[in-house]
Amino acid sequence: MGHLDINVTIEYDNFTLDIKQQLPIQGITGIFGHSGSGKSTLLRIIAGLIKDAKGDILLNKKTLFNSATNSFIKPEKRNIGLVFQDSRLFSHLTVKGNLLFAATRCKTSKLTFSDIIELTDLTSLLDKKVTKLSGGEQQRVALARALLAEPELLLLDEPLSALDKQNKSLMLTLLNKVQKTLNIPIYYVSHSLAELQQLADNLLVMSRGEVSHFGNVHQIIHQLNNSATIQQQTSLSLPIQDHLADYGLTSLRLNDAQQIYLPLLEHSNLESSSEKQHVNDEVKVLRCFIFASDISITKHEHSGSSIVNHLAAKITHISAQQRNTLITVQCQQQVFYAQISLWSTQRLALKIDDDIFIQFKASAVHTLNNRGEKTSC
Amino acid sequence: MFTQSPDLLALITTLKMAGVTTLILLFIGTPLAWYLAHLRSRYKVFIEAFVALPLVLPPTVLGFYLLLALSPQHLPGKMWQELTGQQLAFSFTAIVIGSVLYSLPFVVQPLQKAFEQLGDDVVDAGKMLGAGPIDRFFHIVFPLTKASFITAASLGFAHTVGEFGVVLMIGGNIPGETRVLSIALFDHVEAFDYAKAHALAISLLIGSLILLALIYLLNYQRPAEKV
Repeated sequence: MGHLDINVTIEYDNFTLDIKQQLPIQGITGIFGHSGSGKSTLLRIIAGLIKDAKGDILLNKKTLFNSATNSFIKPEKRNIGLVFQDSRLFSHLTVKGNLLFAATRCKTSKLTFSDIIELTDLTSLLDKKVTKLSGGEQQRVALARALLAEPELLLLDEPLSALDKQNKSLMLTLLNKVQKTLNIPIYYVSHSLAELQQLADNLLVMSRGEVSHFGNVHQIIHQLNNSATIQQQTSLSLPIQDHLADYGLTSLRLNDAQQIYLPLLEHSNLESSSEKQHVNDEVKVLRCFIFASDISITKHEHSGSSIVNHLAAKITHISAQQRNTLITVQCQQQVFYAQISLWSTQRLALKIDDDIFIQFKASAVHTLNNRGEKTSC
Repeated sequence: MFTQSPDLLALITTLKMAGVTTLILLFIGTPLAWYLAHLRSRYKVFIEAFVALPLVLPPTVLGFYLLLALSPQHLPGKMWQELTGQQLAFSFTAIVIGSVLYSLPFVVQPLQKAFEQLGDDVVDAGKMLGAGPIDRFFHIVFPLTKASFITAASLGFAHTVGEFGVVLMIGGNIPGETRVLSIALFDHVEAFDYAKAHALAISLLIGSLILLALIYLLNYQRPAEKV
């Protein structure tokens, strides 16, 4: 596995970016941070669109720039793709013209034009003017155009932020499919943790121009639960066990004896999962998250409850937060986070190592398509 | 009206001067406009003011200083004479030099405005797709600012055709060399030949009007589209 070694500093009037981090050139690496944290600046430095940084960046041990030796590879020579927040299509060209712009300048030929058109479902749009496309279509063209340049590394700078919920969902499914099919390493910048939770393998968190966290996406989201910068949640990646269409439920396999139920997955999710299985011969896996505020705790199992998810667990950590308590519990190998009131914590006399039950409704399990208008950050 | 050769000669000289001037202006005005559009310096205003100077400066002032500079007594004129063996002042080359300086803002300003409006976004997108600087200019920047190039070239050409003061100061009135339409018109007026003067004047007026109407029509049909 290759690496991108970043050691850069850049100073502006009221902001300093100072990053020293090694990132994998594999899978999808999410870059998360609130507005002004420096994530887009970092991406532009990697792309070569910002020249005046100090330090060096090495892509698979090849120097992209080194301020000490005054070496700088121009953006057009770096073989790095970038999809911008606004699609930046060339308005004087048709969809096909935009795609050919990239294809004719590509020096390798691993991917064919027709493969990318088919993958991104652009066949019917080829002769259209780009100004006549919807926002979602424009971003699909921008993605296909970037892919046709066959980059060694693809950077995505908040590509979904201008899209509506339905187009976001479609684009996330497409990005997942693209990454798995073409195996192009992707760095995905977003201020939406929900998007990154669905896509990223690893997560880099930036705060005030510095890296605050880096690691496996689920582990980092769980670490962020203690920093009060996100809405506290349990991030899960579980195999799909069954679809109970008659009851409108899908079950995920938590461990040998326990399942988690959520609302029946919509068509696009099922399709995405089956494509994953087809491409990588993996088990169908679904990413989902549950807000800590949606999980409650009981000392005894309530067999008569309408709530479908009841899981036996052990308390491993209790953290008081103003009027609430964040309870960390272990359910065999899986950690869960429950946020309950301080009053309930005292009333139930909860303490570390207590055996308890957590419970949550099926609708509390959020995926790409069923999470409604809620946001996870 | 052009049955007499002096006016026909003046027309040919005028078109030749305006054509050469426009080509030179596009060649030097494009990089200058690009530089100004991207310059982030407090000194930018001074360069912009220098470029715009012919808009407010009396043409005779520019013509006077050019006459001095191009004369054999001063370095540019002296060097030219040593290199070519011919005097620079009162030559076709001299009126082209004067026209380039005099019409510079009419080419640079619309191009600078177009480049500023275009911004760096699509240019950056071109970079990320492997396009080098020349490639980006001819396949992204030029097609997206084509209307402004046509406007700049048309204004530069039309303004050069209408020149009088600068050409008279540094070119004199040599038929077939520096005698352009505006000077020929002045000659007819001085000789009280109002019929010929009127024929030239109305031709210049109608020609300029048609050219401007075409520019506005072109800009009306090609509104800027941004994706």
